[in-house]
Amino acid sequence: MSFALTDMLYVALAAYALGTLAALLSLFVGEKKRLQNAGLVLMIGGFVAHTIWIGTICARTGHPPLTNLAETASFVAWVVFTVELALWIRYRVYAVVFFVYPLVLLLLTISALAGESFRVLDPALRSNVFTAHLLLSTVGVACLFIGLAFTLLAVLQDRALKRKTRGRLWELIPSLDVCKRVSYRLLAVGFSIYTVGLLAGVLWQYRTTAELMDVRAKQVGAVTAWLLFAVLLESYIRGNYQSKRTILLSAGAFVAVIVAILGIRG
Amino acid sequence: MPLILVGLNHRTAPLDVRERLSVIEPRLAETTSALHAVEGIDGAAVVSTCNRVELVISTRDEDVVTNLVDWLAERASTARTELEKHLYVLRHGDVVKHLFRVASGLDSMIVGEPQISGQVRKAFVTAQQLRTLDSLLQQLFDNTMRVARKVRTETGIGEHAVSVPYAAVELAKKIFGELRGLQVLLLGAGEMGELTAAHLHEQEVKQVFVANRSFERAVELAHRYDGQAVQFDRFDENLGRCDIVIASTGAPHYLIEPAHVSRAVEGRRNRPLFLIDLSVPRNIDPAVARVGGAYLYNVDDLQQVADANRELRQQKATVAEQIVLREVDGFRKRLVAQDAVPTILELQQRLEAIRTAELEKCLRHVGPITAEQRTALEMFSTQLINKILHYPILQLKDATDEPQERESLRRTIRKIFGLR
Repeated sequence: MSFALTDMLYVALAAYALGTLAALLSLFVGEKKRLQNAGLVLMIGGFVAHTIWIGTICARTGHPPLTNLAETASFVAWVVFTVELALWIRYRVYAVVFFVYPLVLLLLTISALAGESFRVLDPALRSNVFTAHLLLSTVGVACLFIGLAFTLLAVLQDRALKRKTRGRLWELIPSLDVCKRVSYRLLAVGFSIYTVGLLAGVLWQYRTTAELMDVRAKQVGAVTAWLLFAVLLESYIRGNYQSKRTILLSAGAFVAVIVAILGIRG
Repeated sequence: MPLILVGLNHRTAPLDVRERLSVIEPRLAETTSALHAVEGIDGAAVVSTCNRVELVISTRDEDVVTNLVDWLAERASTARTELEKHLYVLRHGDVVKHLFRVASGLDSMIVGEPQISGQVRKAFVTAQQLRTLDSLLQQLFDNTMRVARKVRTETGIGEHAVSVPYAAVELAKKIFGELRGLQVLLLGAGEMGELTAAHLHEQEVKQVFVANRSFERAVELAHRYDGQAVQFDRFDENLGRCDIVIASTGAPHYLIEPAHVSRAVEGRRNRPLFLIDLSVPRNIDPAVARVGGAYLYNVDDLQQVADANRELRQQKATVAEQIVLREVDGFRKRLVAQDAVPTILELQQRLEAIRTAELEKCLRHVGPITAEQRTALEMFSTQLINKILHYPILQLKDATDEPQERESLRRTIRKIFGLR
């Protein structure tokens, strides 16, 4: 990796770190709007640097940066922020950033700490099915992550309304209806994309090794996440919206996805 | 040019004095014109609400205050000495700060109330249409409206309801977001219930069903909200299709039990049900709050929301005051700088003329020189006068907002540099 390219990753990381800090600090100060705006501007600055980093890798290798842990974590972070930005433009929900910004920062930190150089994909691995698996799984995971953030907002809002108490996020969380609607849509869309992505992975694995899947952290994490998301989605569809169960399922699904991402190294 | 504000408000004057001076909207134009016609006034606007009457003027003559008090006393048919007890007179920077605070709702009886910025805008637009605003007042009101918007956007000071019916509407919005398209069931015809239903009706809910022991009264109320009357003993059939239920009857027992609500919620899939119990004794069993998807608030809960909102507004007011102070300072600096422009220009022209003349004289003495040498001399002389002008210009731009002191500084500088 060239020096300039690595620099761009660190610029993105620094901007994301400062943006996250500004957003979190805004919870404790009087003039929230200024810090929130500063946080957003910093995150967008980081996103621009991040995009340049990813774009340069794509241009040099001719494929998306998904060949190792560093690239995958970075690409997932990028897609998560892209989805978040689109949702922010549509709904202007600021509260979700308290979950999304740290997540983006965490993923990019994993990417930076992994210290792996970007690679050109092994020609043996180059196939449309494999590319579809990587891209769809990543986009699906990004939608599901933000869906989880909105689910948590819905749970917080539900609790605040039931207990008649307000937390620091009360003013920033949109109506319960918006939280539930957006989380349901993101979970439904993300789950569908993720399912197709996983199936493409299974198909590619079968074609390559004549086996459906390995029992490795990556695969186990991915399938566990799929199952947990399926249960979560089912509870939404049935209207069994129970706070504790939803939180446990969400936490489990999140951990499973992170395990799957970290398992890429193994 | 000095700014002056003469006025009274709910803190300085009792209602009977305020009502004598209050200007109703249809007479605002006429009153503004009459004020503008008072001798010594260059620009004028009248801000009148149920809690305040304020005359905002720009003038070259600071003694005009006497004329203004006489004018007000005449309008109020009161002795001047009697009226003076209730009046406040603000000048220059204090006028700017006061107007910014008033339009932002910081000086209101209920802090952050949203109507005031509309009333200040009305005063502004009326004066603008009548051409009673000079450029100073035009800038002042432009900035006042901008600051009011900024305070509301950045602090959200007016977003929180401080009365029980509005607190119910606010909570409904927190649950459903958009209230348009929702169905409301009003159970009983208690005063608070009616008020809440009226506020919800203003939010363009789709339908209001009214159930009351007296069906005639239900029909009458339903007509008021373009709604539909339903039989009181069959109200529970409507629970499932309504999103908001307001109970406000005189019944001494629970009318809505958890079983009613569980049935209703089941049929609503994921849609929540908001129940507002405004009756004393209560009409909705508190156990209903434990039903998933149902949110129950009684009159005490709503009062607590309103109280908490009032406290929240006070906290936001502290932030808003800081914004106002920053904006006042910014406005003052812009005005002072603007005021100093003619003197600064004259000063620069005067020194430039001296520089050019002296340079030519010097060149004639020295004889022929190279182009580089001439450029060096030009640069030297220009930098020299820039250095000389630096502090006087800084002083002019950063002068106090007290017009007389500013004028005195300008006069001194003009005298020192020999300007006309």
